[in-house]
Amino acid sequence: MTAPAQVTVHDPTLRDGQHAVRHQLDREQIRAYAAAVDAAGVPVVEVGHGNGLGASSLQVGHGRLSDDEMLATAREALTRSRLAALMLPGWATTADLHTAIRHGVDIVRVAAHCTEATVTERHLGVIRELGAEAHGVLLMSHMTSPGDLAEQCPLMAGYGAQAVCVFDSAGHYLPADVTERITAITAAVHVPVAFHGHNNLGMAVANSVAAVQAGARTIDACARGFGAGAGNTQLEVLVAVLERYGHRTGIDLRRLADAADLAEKTLMPAPPVIDSTSLASGLAGVFSGFKRPVLAAAEQEGVHPWDIFAELGRRRAIAGQEDLIPDVARTLAEQRASR
Amino acid sequence: MPANTVLNTAVLGSGLLGLDLVERMRHSPHLNCRLVVGRTRHSRGLDQAAGLGCATAAGGVTALLGSGQSFDIVFDATNAFEHPEHWGRLAGTGAVLIDLTPTRSSALIVPTVNGTQAAEHQHIGLISCGGQAAIPVLHALAQHYRPQYVEMVATAASVSVGRASRLNLDQYVETTQGAIRQFTRTPAVKTMLNISAATPPQPFRITMTMVAPGVEQNPVSTIVETAATAMRTMVPGYRVTSCTVTDDIIRVIAEVTTTRGRMPVHAGNLEVLSAAAIHTAEQHALAPKEIAR
Repeated sequence: MTAPAQVTVHDPTLRDGQHAVRHQLDREQIRAYAAAVDAAGVPVVEVGHGNGLGASSLQVGHGRLSDDEMLATAREALTRSRLAALMLPGWATTADLHTAIRHGVDIVRVAAHCTEATVTERHLGVIRELGAEAHGVLLMSHMTSPGDLAEQCPLMAGYGAQAVCVFDSAGHYLPADVTERITAITAAVHVPVAFHGHNNLGMAVANSVAAVQAGARTIDACARGFGAGAGNTQLEVLVAVLERYGHRTGIDLRRLADAADLAEKTLMPAPPVIDSTSLASGLAGVFSGFKRPVLAAAEQEGVHPWDIFAELGRRRAIAGQEDLIPDVARTLAEQRASR
Repeated sequence: MPANTVLNTAVLGSGLLGLDLVERMRHSPHLNCRLVVGRTRHSRGLDQAAGLGCATAAGGVTALLGSGQSFDIVFDATNAFEHPEHWGRLAGTGAVLIDLTPTRSSALIVPTVNGTQAAEHQHIGLISCGGQAAIPVLHALAQHYRPQYVEMVATAASVSVGRASRLNLDQYVETTQGAIRQFTRTPAVKTMLNISAATPPQPFRITMTMVAPGVEQNPVSTIVETAATAMRTMVPGYRVTSCTVTDDIIRVIAEVTTTRGRMPVHAGNLEVLSAAAIHTAEQHALAPKEIAR
């Protein structure tokens, strides 16, 4: 029997966590956390607006800091860890990639909805030309079949992606769902496969373990699970669990636990919790980042947030379509009034 | 100018957009499509163009120039990477080039805003589908208020966004942003494009947000509805679904569905662009003087 594989832990606390604080992290928060995980030996630290480069807007929220400020601050704090950024084609452009890579970003992830890998072609190519490492990401991966994911991932690898990553953006998977998908993808591509979980159904760590056992070699996780709604896979728990399974991560767990304490104290008003809203979004398979706008719309129109999530799920709404939420709430309120 | 002027045209590009232009020209009293040029022979698009009774050729702009015909108007429905070369090679022929790719190198025309100026230009840019759908409303609002910030998010159905558009997302964002800046005289502009895989495909949707001091619901609703009514003379499926004013923020959502022919009902993004292209070409036919050759 072969020894358990080495797992690369990718930490997007300072990017995905931004959704939980309306993209308001400041310089000192970023500096201190980045320095703490760097000291713990976390190999990759991702920083930015929650929706990635160039995303600061009324649509998804203006960030406190510019991309320049966030990347420069993190870069200064990191001595060993590699710096990563995320971008969505149509939101960020090649100009943003130049900025990021000028700031010393080592890895740029290009993300697309799970069936839309073809939109990543141009930017994956640009990142490679600029000499950074290019990764392809499929968002909301539960919205398509394992077979389709296994066709989308090789497209990204063909465009130059040096790793492919599937996001369970809605926290909808059970471990068997993850096993089936990662197995199909690892059979279809020759680049490393990564998995990014959310905890709406309390399965994020278990799903990540299933991903590793099915062949994923990079796992995303955030300190205390810092992220939208129910949060992400909890970083310090993941690393402890992987160690118990015998997987090496190269991370000093004691120092990581200290970094997670720092994160709880300095980054978040409270650690994520699986509240009823998050549970509803996970069940409906709706992007966790919709939580705040859904609650606001529910209050505004006097409708139940579960009904809004169910309707958004029915309409197969995706991240970036935040403008649908008030519409859906208004429609539900009108339907109720007409009954 | 006699109303019976008929201009000879050619279409570069045999995608959905190129085909829609061909279809529309069959019903135009002023435009006669003489040639559709694709990249390779026997593509589905060229076969369909031939099926519509149009002469076709493969080999891009070289084939167009070698066709032995002269064209009054050439529509470029290829992509932003190739457009500059097309203009470079066509400018000397005297043809009017109407650019449906998101390139920023030409006079920008939005028919209900400055369409009457179209005949003054030989090289005309139509910005993007989002630009064509949003600028009539944003421009109208900017005539009445002083915007501090303008944001536009376009959401197009995945099946209506072809490979050229997917490779041109940067140009789409930058050209649309630049055009909104120009037409609203607002420096702070942000534009984003979503490609939605929702099933069934949803109509093309444009969310416009304008931050401007002193805005009020009543005049805003009237201004927006007037702009939308003007749009509907060209694009009947253009509809404002929501128009709200909160504090100093105007938020308008519009949806565009197609109402004709071979275009799927959700492909309003293609509809606004091809309608603008035909309108612009017809302005040249109706111009009070011959086009300089």
